[in-house]
Amino acid sequence: MTDFEPKVVAFCCNYCAYTAADLAGSMRLEYSPYVRIIKLQCTGKLDILHLLKAFEGGADAVFVAG
Amino acid sequence: MEGECHFLEGNIRAKKRVNYTKGLLAEVKIEPERLKMFNMGASDAKEFAHAADEMTKIAKEFGPSPLKKIKNRKRPAIRRIQ
Amino acid sequence: MIIAERKTFDEIKQIVGDAHKILIVGCGTCVAVCMAGGEKEVGILASLLRLDAKREGRELEIIETTVERQCDKEYLEPLAKKVSDADVVVSLACGAGVQFLAEMYDTKRVLPGLNTRFIGVAEHEGMWTQRCMACSDCILGETGGICPVTICPKGLLNGPCGGTNEGKCEVDNEKDCAWTLIYRRLEKTGGLNNIKKLFPPKRYDVQTKPGKVIHPAYEKGEGKAHE
Repeated sequence: MTDFEPKVVAFCCNYCAYTAADLAGSMRLEYSPYVRIIKLQCTGKLDILHLLKAFEGGADAVFVAG
Repeated sequence: MEGECHFLEGNIRAKKRVNYTKGLLAEVKIEPERLKMFNMGASDAKEFAHAADEMTKIAKEFGPSPLKKIKNRKRPAIRRIQ
Repeated sequence: MIIAERKTFDEIKQIVGDAHKILIVGCGTCVAVCMAGGEKEVGILASLLRLDAKREGRELEIIETTVERQCDKEYLEPLAKKVSDADVVVSLACGAGVQFLAEMYDTKRVLPGLNTRFIGVAEHEGMWTQRCMACSDCILGETGGICPVTICPKGLLNGPCGGTNEGKCEVDNEKDCAWTLIYRRLEKTGGLNNIKKLFPPKRYDVQTKPGKVIHPAYEKGEGKAHE
């Protein structure tokens, strides 16, 4: 499984986690290149269907940050 | 942090939905550990990087999503019978 | 409203069998409010079925639709095309809706996705409690608006019984004694004399099933409004 490149989806709140992710970029922090970020206006907008659709689309892991 | 959300309780609502969805995933035999909620503030760049790494580690531990494991195999049995 | 719960995924999967094209029909009234069979729940069930099929490498197509009510023919008629396209239909309505849909499209397998529980109220967010047994002979006027037929586990019309225990019920001490509630309510509304009233035996003859109601304005026959 060495060549396995996982698909990780991150649902991020615009007001905290997305800013944190942005900051991680400007600070040149190294983190997993497999993460695809989706910005939400608020994690309160997160829908069960968003999460299920991510898995339907082939995500190997999904996290919500906010 | 939980409950210290910009919109007061947005992340609490999200947590409920994440937990509920974990149950749904278990029903269709996808490991619920593949889904997780993290709380962090706007200046927590390290926490974000940590969360991203942790989820990547989990994905690698569990291997490709159960949906893809079969997809890579040949056509499903149902097809062949027909 | 009517309160229902989704069946377990395993049960739905089992009754659906190896259908390749499934139509899921939601119901936009009671079961949408109790978060069991509305548009959102149709979406979730469809997604779960797709995830499961993909995991097993099966081909599956799902059509999602939600109608205003499944207990009225005019909302079911427009479904004809979708129903005929599908191998099976899963109805996320109460038992009445499932049956009406099955009756209208009687050459198609129509399956229930929910278990219908009871007539109840939204006590708070995400929690519903039973309030009415549809007994066809309402006595709420005499009991301070609290139904002993539903709330009292024994359904006593004359209470409380000897099992009342500091406001709780002997059957389950988590449950309130309906007749203690009635006493307190009558005390508040000044109708305490009612508690002394003896109710005659319950009229079970009026709830012979299947029930049928015809509005007087629609009755047929000589001199009736409909003629």
